Amino acid sequence: MVEVQSEIQFQSPKERGPVAMQLKDVAVSFHGRTAVRDCSFDVTKNKVTSLIGPSGSGKTTLLRALNRLHDLTPGAKVSGQIMLEGTDIYRGDLTVTELRTRVGMVFQRPNPFPTMSIYDNVVSGLRFNGIKKKSLLDESAETSLRSAALWDSVSSRLKVAASNLSGGEQQRLCIARALALDPEVLLMDEPTSALDPIATLHIEELMKTLTKRVTVVIVTHNMQQAARISDDCAFLLMGEDRAGELIEFDTTEKIFNNPDDPRTLDYTLGRFG
Amino acid sequence: MSQGPVVELLEYEEVAAGPVSAATSRTWYSYLLIGAALIFTAVSVSFVGSIFWSSWPEWIHHGFTLLTGKGWTSPDGPFGGLAMIVGTLETSLIALVIAVIIGLGTAISIVFFIPRRFRTIVATLVELLAAVPSVVYGLWGLLVLAPWMQVTVNPWLNSWPFAKEIFGNSGEEFGTSLLLASIVLGIMILPTFVAISREVIAVVPQDLMEASLSLGATRWQMIRGVVLPTAKIGLFGATFLALARATGETVAVALVAGSVANIQFHLLYPGTSIAAWIATEFGEAQGNEVAALMALGVLLMLLNVCLALISRSLVSRQRRALARV
Amino acid sequence: MSDLIELEEPGDSGHAMRDEIRRTSDRFRGRRVAISRAMVALCSVALLIAAVPLVLLMYQLFKQGVGQIDWKFFTTLPMTPTLIDPTATGGISNAIVGTIALTLYASILAIPLGVLVGVYLAETQSKLATTLRVISQTMAGAPSILMGLFAFSLIVHDLNVGFSAIAGAFALAVLMMPVIIISTEIAVRNVPNTLREAGLALGAKSHKVSMKIVLPSALTGIVTGVILAISRAIGETAPVLLVIAGGFTNSWKPLSPVSAMPLAIYENAKSEWPSQRAQVWGIALVLVIFVFILSLTARIWASRKQQVRN
Repeated sequence: MVEVQSEIQFQSPKERGPVAMQLKDVAVSFHGRTAVRDCSFDVTKNKVTSLIGPSGSGKTTLLRALNRLHDLTPGAKVSGQIMLEGTDIYRGDLTVTELRTRVGMVFQRPNPFPTMSIYDNVVSGLRFNGIKKKSLLDESAETSLRSAALWDSVSSRLKVAASNLSGGEQQRLCIARALALDPEVLLMDEPTSALDPIATLHIEELMKTLTKRVTVVIVTHNMQQAARISDDCAFLLMGEDRAGELIEFDTTEKIFNNPDDPRTLDYTLGRFG
Repeated sequence: MSQGPVVELLEYEEVAAGPVSAATSRTWYSYLLIGAALIFTAVSVSFVGSIFWSSWPEWIHHGFTLLTGKGWTSPDGPFGGLAMIVGTLETSLIALVIAVIIGLGTAISIVFFIPRRFRTIVATLVELLAAVPSVVYGLWGLLVLAPWMQVTVNPWLNSWPFAKEIFGNSGEEFGTSLLLASIVLGIMILPTFVAISREVIAVVPQDLMEASLSLGATRWQMIRGVVLPTAKIGLFGATFLALARATGETVAVALVAGSVANIQFHLLYPGTSIAAWIATEFGEAQGNEVAALMALGVLLMLLNVCLALISRSLVSRQRRALARV
Repeated sequence: MSDLIELEEPGDSGHAMRDEIRRTSDRFRGRRVAISRAMVALCSVALLIAAVPLVLLMYQLFKQGVGQIDWKFFTTLPMTPTLIDPTATGGISNAIVGTIALTLYASILAIPLGVLVGVYLAETQSKLATTLRVISQTMAGAPSILMGLFAFSLIVHDLNVGFSAIAGAFALAVLMMPVIIISTEIAVRNVPNTLREAGLALGAKSHKVSMKIVLPSALTGIVTGVILAISRAIGETAPVLLVIAGGFTNSWKPLSPVSAMPLAIYENAKSEWPSQRAQVWGIALVLVIFVFILSLTARIWASRKQQVRN
């Protein structure tokens, strides 16, 4: 268990700043059985907000509600309000495809499209959305590959199949792919849990720079990681009815040093998994 | 045309081998197993061998005229198999086109658009469709579809602008024809194609699909841009297997194609295929003609083996490609 | 590692790019969604089209077949209609007896051999095993008329047995064997290794483990394969067409000619007598019902195997 303490910038609550997404009483249920509920918090722009908690607490379920991935699951119901820049993403004027160009996602296991080259992978989102202009594709590809700290190592072999990259590089490719659409929010679902420690470190370093372009919401089961990289933290826990609920939301500093709820304290002290 | 083992073939290579080698110990049991294996080897070798051997007189006496000759003259020859070869190719390829177009849409529907609770029912229906004996398809084609074609469809087809080139326009409307055989064949190989395509499409990893949707793709873009390319090799395997089935189908074609040994490019005319011709002529064949029919059998065997081998290598390449993902 | 330290300033170009991306994607969105909906509809139409032949066929089978079936249908021998009595078709007792006899003889030949070879393939790692596996997979997909040619060549001709039930049974057995071999091998391989290891750990010799532990476990899978093989053999025309000569008696003796249901269908479908053509639907209906029952049984059996394993 490596303790990284040093360069975490703690932010005082007063300086929160503009809000990218707002959640109000958000709950997700599957065929009537609640998976997660009582989620209300604001995701601050250009900051990293992490969702932490033991497994089963509904963090991933909540994350996937933010880009409406549950629309694919029959029997899934999302209640409450999720606002993106003031528009309700479920009941507002926003089509699902438009939402997903503004809220991107990176998954747990690196998943570049296996039949496509590195270049084709990065620009796949643009192509899906009808963008064909080569200059725009090239520019976006370079910008996002640079943002993912991958440009120098792949720029000379963009036409190579994406499966040739290592695990860590593939994940950064997926980050670049999501960034190519220049989204406002980037959702990350345990992006480093399938990677080795060095690759994990690279990606954590990356996240500090990503916030210049996007707002990041990340699910992680590794609370040291959350302490290292996030500005705000939402702690979720599975209740007795086997539904996850939001216990506490605050700045990372508060959550880890001086939480309001005793359960939060128990978790951060490692008293349960 | 039961095809239970077809789908199982796909799971085949993945099941790990048991470590117990009962067959290598020296007991009566192991001798029994080895004995059975040897008997089966003998059976399969004589399977190929006896057909070859019986066809030998044909190759000796007439060389390769079986492959190039146009007419089939009973009872002593010359026996030309070109009409059967052409007929086999025509009917199988058209059947394949029908089966692939409809089958791909069907497979996609089953995997993506049918609610989960209906899937078993649909899968069972597809299996039942495959279990219907080919002679029943032939019967239905002959007694129901052929008259319908003769009365309704053929005149309509013959009224198309390019009808003469494709369909032929003799003024006599045939009910049994190459076109009807192709359609019936297409219906028969459809379940095979759907079963394998469904498997191949369903194992495309879920997170690849979610990733494409998260980029703003529509469902069709996800299917066309990610799922189908990923499954492409396996889909080719399914195509070749369906083609192999089509070329080998005997009684249905024999009943509905019209059993005429002419090289025929006009689809509304009757024709035949290699397998159908063997079935039709064998009953009354003597001596030399039997050898010629056996030679046709050799041809059929070679064709089928090639297609089956191609199909299997494609399906296993597909599986290996997915394992890397 | 140097690209780690790269900090990227978005600058103004970032927003211009974003705007252009948004604008273009907004422009295309409607069209993409419409195309998606259209293709989804098209695929569903394909599914419906695929279902149509089955529905039509079943409808015809039942509509035309049910009327043909009665007690006489099963118990009397066929007759040829004459001008005096054009509806005198008799029954199909010879075909039913023939099918039962053929299937029985074929099973006797194919099941023991097939199961043994399947077990052999599952428990051996030799060159012979690999070759036999490829051979049986290839044979499983081979055109069934080749089995008829084989039976003719070997049984009818070389062994001079003549057109007979045993020749037909031989052809069907060659058809059934690969199916049984493949499904037996899969069933045996699916037995968890832990079972085998437990047996060995208890001191049992490997062949006893195979016989007393592995085989009973694999039994459901083996039976499923056998049922499927039988269901296939019952319906096949081509293998028997060439070698059984369509006997007209209720004989089931191996050495005499015999009939079979698929054969009866094949021959009477082309008949010039409408009454015979009508009767064919009855035969077809009975055949299809048999085959369906067997297929469904196999399926139910197979899913029971799954439940037991879980």
